[in-house]
Parts: sequence; C-alpha cells; structure tokens
Amino acid sequence: MEEKKIEIKMKRKWGMAIDLDKCTGCGKCSVACNQENNMPIFEDDSDVPKRVAFLELMKVTNDKNAKFPDVKTAYLPKMCMQCEGNDSGKHKADPPCVSVCPAVATDVGDDGVVSQIWSRCIGCRYCQAACPYEARVFNWWKPEYEGSFKKSLNTDVSVASRGTIVKCTFCSHIWKRERDAATAKGILDINAVMYTPACAAICPTGAIVFGDLNDHESEVSKLTTSNRAMRLTNSIDDIKDPEKKKALLNKKQFANPKVYYLTSQSWLRDMMRFKKNS
Amino acid sequence: MKKIERKDFLKLGGGAVLGGLSGWVFSGAPFLGFQWLAEWTQDQYVPVKGFEKYVQAVSDSCPAGCKVSVRMIGERAVKIESKDGVCPACHNALQLTYHPERISTPLKRKGDKGDGKFVPVTWEEAIKEISSKMNSLITEGKANSIAAINKNESLNGQLMEKFIKAAGSNNVYYEPSLKSLTSSALGGYINYDFANTDYVLSFGAKLVEGWGSSADMQKVFTQWKSKGTKIVQADTVCSMTASLASEWVPVKPGTEAVLAFGIANYLITGKRLNSTGEEFGKWSQLIINKFPLAKVASYTGVSEERIKQIGDEFSKAKNPVAVSGKGAHGVNASSAEIIAVYCLNTLVKSRAASLMTNSSVSYKGEFAGLDSFIKDGNFSMLFLNNSDPVYKSVLGEELKKKMEKAFVVSINPIMNDSANYADIILPSLSFLESETPENKTVVSNFKESKDAKDIIIALSKSIDKTKDAFSFTNGIDSFKVTGKETASGAKFSFNVDKIKNDIDALDKKFAANAEYPLFMIPVEAPLVGDGDGLAFPYVLKSIDPTVFYKGKLLVQINRETGKKYGLSENESIVIRSTRGKLDKVYVHLTDTVAPDTVAMPLGFGHESYTVYGSKKGVNPKKIMAADVDPLTGTADWWSTRVKIS
Repeated sequence: MEEKKIEIKMKRKWGMAIDLDKCTGCGKCSVACNQENNMPIFEDDSDVPKRVAFLELMKVTNDKNAKFPDVKTAYLPKMCMQCEGNDSGKHKADPPCVSVCPAVATDVGDDGVVSQIWSRCIGCRYCQAACPYEARVFNWWKPEYEGSFKKSLNTDVSVASRGTIVKCTFCSHIWKRERDAATAKGILDINAVMYTPACAAICPTGAIVFGDLNDHESEVSKLTTSNRAMRLTNSIDDIKDPEKKKALLNKKQFANPKVYYLTSQSWLRDMMRFKKNS
Repeated sequence: MKKIERKDFLKLGGGAVLGGLSGWVFSGAPFLGFQWLAEWTQDQYVPVKGFEKYVQAVSDSCPAGCKVSVRMIGERAVKIESKDGVCPACHNALQLTYHPERISTPLKRKGDKGDGKFVPVTWEEAIKEISSKMNSLITEGKANSIAAINKNESLNGQLMEKFIKAAGSNNVYYEPSLKSLTSSALGGYINYDFANTDYVLSFGAKLVEGWGSSADMQKVFTQWKSKGTKIVQADTVCSMTASLASEWVPVKPGTEAVLAFGIANYLITGKRLNSTGEEFGKWSQLIINKFPLAKVASYTGVSEERIKQIGDEFSKAKNPVAVSGKGAHGVNASSAEIIAVYCLNTLVKSRAASLMTNSSVSYKGEFAGLDSFIKDGNFSMLFLNNSDPVYKSVLGEELKKKMEKAFVVSINPIMNDSANYADIILPSLSFLESETPENKTVVSNFKESKDAKDIIIALSKSIDKTKDAFSFTNGIDSFKVTGKETASGAKFSFNVDKIKNDIDALDKKFAANAEYPLFMIPVEAPLVGDGDGLAFPYVLKSIDPTVFYKGKLLVQINRETGKKYGLSENESIVIRSTRGKLDKVYVHLTDTVAPDTVAMPLGFGHESYTVYGSKKGVNPKKIMAADVDPLTGTADWWSTRVKIS
C-alpha cells in the first residue's frame, strides 16, 4: 500500500496591529499575558530592567517637548515585535536576535513567529543585546511561584530555569493547542486553524488586533495598510523612493517588525520614530 | 627565634589547609554550590497536567457582576477570559484564589491589636464568641452600638445591611463609592445612558481608567469613538481620559466644582435656562452672586470665553450629559460638586442621567456616611465585610483608635490593614469559589473558608434577635431576594442650607496660602487602583517606572514648579500638610501635571496587605484633607494644601 504523503505549505504570517487611539491603558493585556505565560512571581517587581514580563505597558508622554497643558499621555503595550528581518531574497529571513544565537535556541518560522526554546538557551544574552526593542528578558533569578500560586500555572508553557532568556512568542502555543483540537476532529490542514493571543483576546476596546498578514482580507492586513499605521523602526519606513529603500534595506540590519501601531496623534508618531516634536 | 624545620613547615601548611577547608565547609559555601548546581542543571517545576475545560462564572463579589470564562486544567483554574469585559479585581481573582497568604481558618486575636498575632479557632468557637458578645449588647439595650462597614453593595453587603438592621442598629456604612456619594447628595445614584449621548462633559471623572463600572466604561468608550461622541474632560493632570478626550480643559487642582458653578451661572444668566429641582431659586441666586464668571476664571484657570463656549456647546448638543465624581477607582466629590454638576443636567433637561435607588441598600446610617461615623460615631462592636477603612479612609488612624476599644469582626479572604485590628477574622472566598444560581463553583473552597453570604446568615441565626432576619439558611437562596433597582421617586433638591457653608469655605480654600503653597491631588496607576490590586504579583509587574521604581514611590511635579523649589529628578522630598507629613517620596518632574500641584499615586503604603502589598511607598490618605461633607458624610480629600521640603 502506498503511503499518502501530506505536504503542508505554510500560508500564514501572523502579525498584530495595536490601535493606540483606542487603547485606554487599562492593563488587561498585561495581566492576561502574565497568566497565560506563567510569569515568575516576585515580592517587589519594581526594578524594571530586570522585571520578567513579555508585555510591557509603557507609559509615554510628550512632556519633554511640550509644556503643560499642551501635553498628551498614552500607553503603549510593547511585546516582541516578531521581526521578519532583512530578507533580500538571497538567504532565509533573519531577525537581529536569530542571527546571533549560538545555540539555535531562537528561530523564525515560516508562520512568522520568532520562537524561543527556554531549555535550549545557554544564557549568553547576545540576542538580548541584539534586540532593538528590549523585548527579551533574562531570568536573573530562578522563576518561583510561592506556595499555592503554582496551582494557576498553564501546562502549555514550560517554566524557564534560571539564567535563560525568555520572550513573547505571540502565544503560539495557543495555535498548537487549537491545531491539536482540530486534528482530533480530523482537520489536518494547519492553515485552516486560526487563533488569538491572550493580550488580543482580552483587550476590552478591541485596540489589539491579531491575524494573518498574508491574507489581504483580514482585519489586521487592512489596518496595517491604513495611513495611521506605523512600526517601531527607524526612518527606513518613511522613504518613498523604492530603489533607495531597497539599497538601504540591503545594507543595514533592518528589523522589519510585524507588530504595527496605529495612531492619528502626530506626537506619538514622531516619538516612535525618535523624532523631536517641532 | 627557633628555626622552622621542614616538618614544622609541613605541619603549619597542612594545618592552614585543614583549617581553611573546615571553615569553607562550615560556612555553607559547598552546600550552596550544590544547591545552585542542582538549580542550574535540573529542570524547573512542571505544572500538573490534566484535562482542559472551560467553566463559566459570574462574580458575586463585585457590584458589576463580571461574567467570565475560566480555563481549567484538571481541578486547577489557570486563566480568566471574558468576552463581556471584566473588572481588574475579577481579572486578578486567580491570584486571590491561589494567594499563599489566604486565611485558612477562623482566627482569634492574640496579643495587642495591630500586632498581627492570631491563633486559629474553630468556626463554632468563633461564632459563639461573636454571638455571646452581640446578644449581651442587644439585651443591654445597646444594639445601636453594633456597626458594619461593607466594601460594596454586592449581595453579601446587602445581607450584612439586613442583618445589622434586624439586630436593631442603624449603623451600616459602605466604603465611599460613586453610588454612595451621589445617593447621599442627590437622593439617588445616577444611571447614565452613555450609549445615546452625543456630548459628555466630565468633571474630573476618569471615565476610561476605572471610574464607575470599569468593564462597561471600556465598551462605552469604543461606542463613543465609533460614533464621534464629543468628550470634554476637566482635569488637573493629563490623565488617559484627558488625553483621549476630544477636548481637555485643564483646571487648577480641586476647582472642578467651581467650573460647574461657572457653567451653570452662564446657562442661567446668559441662556435663561432653569431647573425643576427644589430650591433652585435659592441655589441660582447663591451661585450667580458668589461665582461671577471672572471669579470662576481666576479660580479655575479656565478663561471666561472658554466657559461660555463649553456652556454653549453643552446646551446646544442633542443629548448632553455632565458627569461628576472625580477619580477612577477611588472617587471623591463634595456634595456641592455633585449637585452643581447634576444641576447642569437638569438645566439642559438631559435624558442621559436619571436617578435610581436600590431597595436593599440605603447608603445612610445614623451618620451621613462612613467618615462622619468614624469621626463622631461610637461603637462597641464592628463588622468589616471585606472592607479596609483603616487604609482607605483619611480618618483611618482615628478608626484604629476606636477599633482598639471595640470588638471587631472582619470577614475577608486575605489580611488587610483593617483586619489587623480585628478580634475575630472569618475567612471568606474569592468569587471563583462561590456558587451562584446559574453556575457551580469553579474551584473548591480554600481549606476552612466559607462564603461571606453563608457566614452572615450563620451569624444571624446564632443571635436571638436576628434569628428570623433571613427566611433561608443558605447563601445560594439569597439571590432570590436581591435588591431591586428602581427609578428614584424622591425629588431632586439643591439642599442649599446644608451645603452653603461649604460653598462659602471655597473662597478660603483657594485663597493664597503662604505656608502651604501647593496642592496635592491623587492619581491612580493602572490595575493598582486605589490599593486593592497591590496584593497581586501580576499587578506589580504592570507598574510604570515613573510611578514606583526600585522600591521608591514617585510623585509627579511640574517642571517649572520643580525649578522654583530647586528639585531634581528622583530627589527625595518630604510633603507636609496640616495633618502630618509623608517622607520617603521621590520626585518625578513632568509637565503632564499642572503647576503648583503634587500628583500623588494612590494605592501604595499598605501596612499589612500580604508580603506583596505591604511596605511599598506611602499612603497619602494619612495627610489628606479630612473635612467631612455634611451631606455625603465623606471627607473631601481630593485636593490638600501641602508644602514640600
């Protein structure tokens, strides 16, 4: 009997769009992320550079360039930007963190998710240094869950050991979970399964939208092409001339993130491009 | 000197090596080394596996009744999800349910009050002790010295109110909330029809940051955004609500009420509008004479043209609504302010604000409100139903002193500042452990803890006078008798005589004060709110470094003001008011705060709120203004005159 070969070609490229005009800074995304991803527990988590959290609820204001009352405040939920890297067609796409990892603990899959395997990480922290977004965090201490807090741990995310780098993976374990559930029903095409990461699922104002960037009909694709959309990148995005852009892309280590921010507020756009307000 | 032989040299060397070795062994270093080796090389804790399922639950401990879907792995709850929106407290219920410092059995005080020393007792012993004390008070004719303070108007709060009233006492109080404040100022709380309004004028209400029913307000905000509802926010700091509003009206600290007077003044004199409320004539004379636009402009810092412009837009909108209640989770407003803002609604005949009452919740005891009760009331027995007035009230220190002389019973799942002064602590549940008519419990009760509803019913059955207060023996049946919300029949009145003195006092409040030149106003961090969130580690993870950084609590001060006082970033300062001082606060200079204002984060400085919530920063309520409002019976703490050094 001839074995039936199932060839699966990945169709999805997961991406996210965060509408800052809708974000009220309620912090639900942060709590949902912590619950879903088994964030370690500390008595005092106020040392921010050493805080282990995948999603940072960044408070930003334009108060350096504006005086009261011409000021504005916004919250910017910041997670791993899931960079696609500078793919000029010659080799595989490489985000800044992947190319420096000596242990193959991090890689970018053809679904667009930059993965990280905690148990494979040797803790050299090269990727943390390479990441332009400070999205990677290092477990300086053993992740502990005092007493009964252990009971709320999710079985889908492994608990990291001390001395390893951890990061947001777009909750891709939820996709695997959904795929397993689909397989149990007899659906073998992985592209038929959609999912929503914890932060996007809980967002009460619908500010965080998640979906497939390859599907031009998806909500996230439509949002990323809106004129309010922008990415946390340097000015390459703003260059209109395609030739010049291509030349720069080939030269520089360009992160090319898949998380888009939407805002109509010019101060926020300028701040995200590291431009000073005029 | 004796010559050192080779043998001696070897002996000495060997001795040194041996001594060093034994020292190293006894120092514990090798054992620590082995421990580290084990930790670094061996796998970490593996969560217990089990079947996945989703269980639906409705919260009976929050007044909004959040509906959530809980992801279960076996018998463990691992995630709280919600399609309808969830309030921060219910979203954090996992960490309350599985908190390592949950109270597992009834506790009895051992040692002095405030020492935090308790010994476990059985439920029978605890109930017996409470009932004998309460029975003797009732037979002595001192029933009115029994009092209760509820956290909120959820079902167990309503049962507590019924129980205490059946015992013959009128002293049932609620922690000040939007509903309790507006009920006592207006005769009913306000039901806002936000979905159908096209113009929202908010007087410091941080609408999207936890104000009112926080989950619903997030939905309302998206509706406003999609419909293009105009939101005008009067605020002293650039809060999220101010930043997301269509217009932000920056006002000087604590002058929201004066702005409302000014707009009302313009609508009455300039637009010839009038209200149907009782004593409107008296009220309008008062504010027209006392608050001409020029004076309002100088107090609030909002120009006369701007006040007129807001008045014009507000009166021309199709369905405008004015919103009072400054703050997010911790709200505060004087009755004059609530009445002044509600007056604007009656002037434009707003259809989006109507007064309601609840048949089971009175919000009014023998004294007008919680703070007037703490100040003037006396009690020999006090029930705390999940409330924390010692921490949350500006008169917490006074309450502590009175609690030391009384018999205090606290019903709560984890320790808090007030329970620390209790004689008996009865452990209650998180909402995941309690049963509702629609849903079974999500997880089983933690050790010996019981549902607050069952505790209150059991207490009432154990006391002769209140035996028949409830027709049921089980908390689950109490859902049938939950209070009905009805449109308030009471006529809205301006109550001029009662608040006239407070309005007169405003002149003194805003006059230049050389000794206390600055105003301190509260701000809230997301999830921390007014302090309830701080016991949960996942809340600590969300705190911005401009609020609390490396164990230091930062207050926000305007750059210019900072320059005037020679302050630099992260500098330690002392804040003084007439009521005391706060030290160990640090400066964060930012122009998001009005000049001459100290924006102080609420929610920090707990004394005894688990290891996660305690001893972090300071509690500003200790030095905040404590003038008690005659109608709401709540201290008007929002803006406090302070000096810094």
